[in-house]
Amino acid sequence: MTQEELLSKLKTIITPYVQNEKALGELNEETDFIKDLEINSANLVDVALDVEDEFDIEIDNEAMEKMLTVGASVSIIEQKLAEK
Amino acid sequence: MIGNDIVDIQLAHIQSNWQRRGWMQKIYTPKEQNLILKSTNPEREVWILWTMKEATYKAHQRRFGLQPKYNPKSFECDTIQKRVIIDDFEYEINTSITNEYIYSVAFLSNINYTSEVFTGKYEAKKRVKELLNHKSVKALQIHMDKDTNGIPILKNNHTKIDIPFSLTHHGKFSAFAILQ
Repeated sequence: MTQEELLSKLKTIITPYVQNEKALGELNEETDFIKDLEINSANLVDVALDVEDEFDIEIDNEAMEKMLTVGASVSIIEQKLAEK
Repeated sequence: MIGNDIVDIQLAHIQSNWQRRGWMQKIYTPKEQNLILKSTNPEREVWILWTMKEATYKAHQRRFGLQPKYNPKSFECDTIQKRVIIDDFEYEINTSITNEYIYSVAFLSNINYTSEVFTGKYEAKKRVKELLNHKSVKALQIHMDKDTNGIPILKNNHTKIDIPFSLTHHGKFSAFAILQ
């Protein structure tokens, strides 16, 4: 999977939880889920669970701790996929 | 140090499915999960514990200037003693529960604070600004600013000392908590 494909899948996952549509259009590595996209913090768990389902990987607590930005999430997904 | 968190019960019901497979296990310790499942109102218990964790996260993060981290499970709630433990640190909790919202304040013991809940997303922030403009307070030269993480802070222009303060909003409700 290319990084572009991965990013596009991640974007599909987070979209239903995003409350700031404008920031979604300007998505980049730095985009912060809570500050920029205004995702409710309780929904970050749903993002982690959706990532697990979509990529068939396990997001442990250590990984979930860092999943606050697009860039950090992409790195974690790549790392977990590589470990498979 | 102080932190607060509010949950609009009606909105939370729409936004989150706490019964989703794996959801509780990612946020709550086995002891907390047990508490939720044994509760006569599990959904309410879910949000009581959630606000306790979030309020403590805010207080703890500000106290030590920590980087943002999403680790709700590391915050262990004790609903009987009304406190939350994170690493070796302990915070006291006050929780208010109505039919419409659940609101928790986390604070270090032996401190006094003022806190108020409002209807309206921006009401709490508006009210704090009004308070700062009050004649008696104005003389103290306190203003609202943002820290590097974008979190609103209160600064005393004169002493350059931050005043512990926390804002929260969810759905119809907002609240502030300020150290006295």
